[in-house]
Amino acid sequence: MSPAQAPVEARAIRVALPRGDLRAPVAERLRAANFIVQGYGEGSRSYRFEVDGIPGVQVRVFSDGDIPIQVALGHYDFGIASRMWIDELLVRFPHDSIVPLRRLDIEGETLVAAAAPGATLEGLAAGGVMRVATEYPNIAQHYLTRLRVPDYRLYEVWAQAEAWPPEDAELAIAPASAARREGLDILGEVHRGGVWLIANRAALASRDLSAALGPLVSLPGGSEQAGVVVPAPLVGVQRAVPRAGKPREAFRIAVPDGHAQRHTVASLAQAGIAFGGYEEGSAVRHPISGDPEVVVKVMRPQDMPRAVALGHFDLAMTGRDWLRTFTASFPAAPVVELCDLKRSKYRMGAVITEDLPVESIEEAVALWRKDDPDRPIRVASEYASLADEYARSRHLHQYRVIPISGASEGFVPEDAEILIEGTETGSTLRANRLRMIDVIMESTNCVIGAAERPPGRRGELRDRFVERLAAAAEAAES
Amino acid sequence: MPPTDSLTAMEADAMPDRGLRSSGMRDLGPAEMARFRHIERTFLEAAAAGGYREIRTPTIEPLHLFTAAGTLSPQALDRVYSFLDWDGWSGERVVLRPDATVAVARWYGEQSAGTEQRVAYVQPVYRFAPEGDREVWQCGVELFGAAAATADAELLLLAHDTLSALGIEQVTCDLAHAGLVRAAFAAAGLSATEQLDAYDRMLDGDAGVTADLVATHPRGAAGLRLLSEVDGTTVGYVANLRAAMLPVVPGAAGALDELASAAGALEAAGVPFHVRAGTARSFEYYSGLTFSFSAAGRECVSGGRYDGLAETIGGLAAPGCGWAADILGLAGVLS
Repeated sequence: MSPAQAPVEARAIRVALPRGDLRAPVAERLRAANFIVQGYGEGSRSYRFEVDGIPGVQVRVFSDGDIPIQVALGHYDFGIASRMWIDELLVRFPHDSIVPLRRLDIEGETLVAAAAPGATLEGLAAGGVMRVATEYPNIAQHYLTRLRVPDYRLYEVWAQAEAWPPEDAELAIAPASAARREGLDILGEVHRGGVWLIANRAALASRDLSAALGPLVSLPGGSEQAGVVVPAPLVGVQRAVPRAGKPREAFRIAVPDGHAQRHTVASLAQAGIAFGGYEEGSAVRHPISGDPEVVVKVMRPQDMPRAVALGHFDLAMTGRDWLRTFTASFPAAPVVELCDLKRSKYRMGAVITEDLPVESIEEAVALWRKDDPDRPIRVASEYASLADEYARSRHLHQYRVIPISGASEGFVPEDAEILIEGTETGSTLRANRLRMIDVIMESTNCVIGAAERPPGRRGELRDRFVERLAAAAEAAES
Repeated sequence: MPPTDSLTAMEADAMPDRGLRSSGMRDLGPAEMARFRHIERTFLEAAAAGGYREIRTPTIEPLHLFTAAGTLSPQALDRVYSFLDWDGWSGERVVLRPDATVAVARWYGEQSAGTEQRVAYVQPVYRFAPEGDREVWQCGVELFGAAAATADAELLLLAHDTLSALGIEQVTCDLAHAGLVRAAFAAAGLSATEQLDAYDRMLDGDAGVTADLVATHPRGAAGLRLLSEVDGTTVGYVANLRAAMLPVVPGAAGALDELASAAGALEAAGVPFHVRAGTARSFEYYSGLTFSFSAAGRECVSGGRYDGLAETIGGLAAPGCGWAADILGLAGVLS
């Protein structure tokens, strides 16, 4: 973590609050504590708020997972966030500048280690290299290290880690409720959640924050028992030998849920392909292909390039943006685009505030560094590896990539100079007084597969699917 | 004699930090490099005279080499520089070499398993530290495939000879034995899990572990107190330890033999030493004698025996022992 920076706006007390599911319970408790943020609890689309009757306090709404980083950086003095995101930062960077002040009386999720029914941690650890899917790689590594698993591989996924076992990973470290829904056995607790009030250490030590601290510490509290769980170590488990496996015979296809599902269902329909249980607006984990040779699984499109590179799928329907993001991190990964499906079009690029009177990113950088040639340029993005690639290729000199998980339009200009973001029409950017100054890529949905065509029947099936989908996409466009 | 230069180490250390260098990383200017090379040459000459041939291992190693129980403790693993390589989509993390011994043991397992091998190295290790250096250049030796009784004494005397060749005088040696502590844990009835936990606590600097044991196992109190509260300076102390401990910790006999043998070798060579039997030294992989040499109040050399390491990381079982010195630490003692 970079050293704390001075807050952009001098001396204002800045508070970071979560959006999403936590918004309503947090707003309710803030109101009861007379820390009234008009519009926050009502789900206003605005990112910034004032606090009634407390001048000099500014509130900004973030995705839950981004709040600890913002407080650690010193951009915000206080934050309210899930403990699992706080610890995801602190177990990796224990010397960081966050002080967890107190737990609030809002329930949080428990993270668990979960696997296929009947599995045990001892058996998985002794049976070969343990593949572990998780959204929380730092907490997972902390847990596995203390469990003394001799050899493991961590799959850092964007979401739905619980969907990976048993065929694509031995273990998932995921929220307990999600693991149960997926039908997995819970083998142990990894992290006990809760929602916490946190503060920046340097700000607490040096500035008068009492106007906000007073009401915030009067929020109703919960049990202090929370945080990472230290498991009893597995004793006597020797270093793993490679897991014996036979070549996969089934032809496996991954299709996305979420925003990309609508476009994928349409692309499949154009090609005359339908999977039972995978329609616009609804999806089961394992849709039915109608062909015993073809197995279909629903997963997040962000995680498909990795799953294909690992050899778990023969085809996956994702976005070119996610393929590009993955290969920016792992250029040697054996995954390629097989055909463009030409839907879900949007531009990905560098976004800055429209208030800046410049025509190029170079002019913008020169303006930001007018008074301080060594000023680091902050580049925020959900696509962190793309942001890093962009900053390198544009020779931004000193820069910091701020990985974020949402509420992205609120970052520029206060919390970042540049946002790497996608836009379909530009209307959301304009509504937030932003503009795209540099286009990195035009993204569409696409089919990806292994760089090397699979042998035998799987190769034949891959050719057939790609041919049909490509022909349908061409026909639809012409 | 060490080289002299107009730029002292202190002056070099006082170079302004303009924020262009990563935290914990340092440049070595001409004066420091001259000292570095002097120490490196002297070390390699002393090692070669003892039959130790130089090797070098890669800077980047797979993380899993260090994660099995019996290699690095969880606390040590929290401070490694681990990351995903450019081809790390499989989730296999790599590390900047956090420890030279494990890397050399991996090399031994791949190249020379089953034979007696004496090797020397000069290479850095990387560990996060809130203050101080995060890149530490080490010179060290490892001896594989040799029995404890002779190998431990050989390594102790090689360390002492190397320091003498560098002109570092008035050296003292601290001795301990990882097996002694573990035997005491086992005799006290700690389960395998509790033993691992207690040893990790000792590695983490928790001085209360042995005292806790004394409180909960009064039958072994005399031996444990001798172990934890008295530092011996002669072979006679080891005899006292044997008399007090063996009736309640019979499993300590082998460890006491090895400790007596090492103490005897130092006594015969006229090297002053302390037996601090109730301590644990820095790495979970130590299984036998552990030691350090200090001069002018600074630790110069540390090492020990790690008979289970080669097998733990996937090689054939082979006894091993070694030591390493922080080159810039030695330069500090010399200056």
